[in-house]
Amino acid sequence: MDRAARSMGELSGAGLTDAHDHHHPRPTSAVELRARALEALLAERGLVSTDAIDAVVELYENDVGPQNGAKVVARAWVDGAYRARLLSDSNRAIAELGFGGAEGDNMVVVANGPTVHNMVVCTLCSCYPWPVLGLPPTWYKSPPYRARAVSEPRAVLREFGVELSKDVEIRVWDSSAEVRYLVLPMRPDATQGWSEDRLAAIVTRDCMIGTALPSALEPAMS
Amino acid sequence: MSSGGADLATVDGALGADSPLPRDNGELVFDEPWQGRALGMGVVAIDRAGAPWPDFRRHLASAIAARVTSDAESPATAYYSAWLDALEALLAERGLLD
Repeated sequence: MDRAARSMGELSGAGLTDAHDHHHPRPTSAVELRARALEALLAERGLVSTDAIDAVVELYENDVGPQNGAKVVARAWVDGAYRARLLSDSNRAIAELGFGGAEGDNMVVVANGPTVHNMVVCTLCSCYPWPVLGLPPTWYKSPPYRARAVSEPRAVLREFGVELSKDVEIRVWDSSAEVRYLVLPMRPDATQGWSEDRLAAIVTRDCMIGTALPSALEPAMS
Repeated sequence: MSSGGADLATVDGALGADSPLPRDNGELVFDEPWQGRALGMGVVAIDRAGAPWPDFRRHLASAIAARVTSDAESPATAYYSAWLDALEALLAERGLLD
């Protein structure tokens, strides 16, 4: 998974090194000493262990993912009334499943159809609906994607392996701090009768950014 | 959960909107390594102590309110300092630091 510069794993590693070649040993702050002392005390009382803390740190690093968004999409695929609510009041419909909050507050879900394909970009920076999609992929934050998604979306999609017929209109949505978009892809025809969980497993992050289409081929590890 | 602690979504839910974990576009923000460990330590200790998250949330809100903020301190440093205060208060209340 993509790891951003300030992820926990990197920070919890060995000593701090700055961007240059030389080290600047940082004086240990009072609060850091206090944190260490508390950890030592709790370890002595059996309330924590280094391994357990490491496990949580690692879990949190990998925890954020697009699973929440996939559940939203799968629900919309099986429940027409939910789909209608999701498209008319996205925040509320997403909150129905227990997701949302903070920066995901102003969500707008846009639906793909036979003649419309949606894709999402943030041209200014990397605004992203993280409560439903987790952390943005590196390419989403890259200047080429941010520029080309607007100027030549069809070519960008082709590079992602999505070949759309000429009569499909491509709509590009520019996310911002105020509004963050999520794409509701079309349900593959070959998934009739599938359970919601099984459907959610084929809804990838990229499907919900609009740079991929869901496939009825199930992932090997699910 | 068997590995000893709530998952991140559970922690987010338990903390609610009044004292959420510091984030930047979804990414947890730690300005120094001890802050990530403080988060992990809290999650593990709360789980092993069998303490209810609403109790911790209450202590965290008080700790944040009680802290004298300093301009020299980053938001994440202030938050995780309060987090330590809250964890100590919670465990002390349950007689685990005696």
